[in-house]
Amino acid sequence: MPCQHYKEALIDAAASGSEPRGELRAHLDACTACRAAFEQEQSLFASIDAGLHVTANAEVPASLLPRVRARLDKASAPRRIWAANWLVLASAAAIIVALFVTRAVWRPSTVQSPVETAGNSSEPPKVTPSPQNQIPVVVPPAVKNSDSPHQVAIARNPAEHATSPMGKTMPEVLVPRDQEVLLANYAEQWRLRKRAPLVAKDADATILALLQVAPIQIAELDVKPLAEEISQ
Amino acid sequence: MQELVLVQPGRTAGGELEHEAAQTDIRREFEQRLAECGPLAYRVARGVLRNSADAEDVAQEALLRAYRRFEHLRDRNRFRAWLVRIAFRLALDRLRSAKRRELRDTLWSQPEHHPPAVNAEDLAALNEFQTHLDVALAELPKKLRLVLLLAAMEGHTIDEIASMLGISTGTVKSRIFYARRQLAEKLRCHANIIKKR
Repeated sequence: MPCQHYKEALIDAAASGSEPRGELRAHLDACTACRAAFEQEQSLFASIDAGLHVTANAEVPASLLPRVRARLDKASAPRRIWAANWLVLASAAAIIVALFVTRAVWRPSTVQSPVETAGNSSEPPKVTPSPQNQIPVVVPPAVKNSDSPHQVAIARNPAEHATSPMGKTMPEVLVPRDQEVLLANYAEQWRLRKRAPLVAKDADATILALLQVAPIQIAELDVKPLAEEISQ
Repeated sequence: MQELVLVQPGRTAGGELEHEAAQTDIRREFEQRLAECGPLAYRVARGVLRNSADAEDVAQEALLRAYRRFEHLRDRNRFRAWLVRIAFRLALDRLRSAKRRELRDTLWSQPEHHPPAVNAEDLAALNEFQTHLDVALAELPKKLRLVLLLAAMEGHTIDEIASMLGISTGTVKSRIFYARRQLAEKLRCHANIIKKR
């Protein structure tokens, strides 16, 4: 049995791995029991260190890195699938937008047809660049019949509904051929989070063209009673 | 009639190429660290779990998480420390859930302080003292355990551990000292096993 007075000091010395000094050294030289206890503690700590070395330096399975690489590859794959799905959705949205845009563009022409037969010109829409901000304004062909009460001002930003601050979420939109570059520039400014180059309140009223829509001409209606009404 | 074209304003081929190139760079950089730090993640997990199969699962998960967040890691020189912490935390989580499962399912059939199920390979590798040591190690406080494991791993100096864990060298030394003392307290009763060895 080691001397109680030196017991903790012996353990601390063995735990720290340092050689005993001073009073403890002198006691160990004089006390056989404490020297034996100290050697036993040193043996215990040596065994602990050896065991820790075994635990901490376990052989790494050869399969670890290949499996990790395979999982990394898999982790990248779903993104591509997700991206493909996103593209499908974006394409569907673009088709819908394109349909609306096409319909909006074509409607005046179809309405105008009867007017054209009455002698009005059917010029294609003109693109008038704005002197201040270089954003074109779509000016549909003017209708000569100025008596029409239907006047609609159009100053539509081509990218108004198609762009968002995040460029990568842009849907596809239909634009006139000569406005393609302008739209790209506009979208780029959005992407860079700059102020939009055109907002409606800044637009000069003088450049807002007035669209005169010809009155819809409907042939005389021939109203016929329903079959049930006839029987009654 | 005016000709219309279908365009996607924000989409530029250059941007996509840049993104792909950045991803390739990240993967390449991660691969370089993977070979160096993969074993470290495994050993940290193995030191906590004492089970090769579980340790491999945890190491894989830790590396995968590290990869997913790699581009957000500002100081890439801290990758080792970061990975060690991820692996250690995941291993502790796995150990806790394993203990809960063990308690719930097979408490009646398990002797006290029996380590989690180990495979034949592990059983052959472990002797009795090693088993007691692993159990004692598992009972150490987390902070002491991690420092002791890292100190026992080949090639880790006190300074490296301090740098890895963001603590002073004095703290590392004191944690190692207290960890070894606590292990000795738990294992002193098994001194006869040591004498036999």
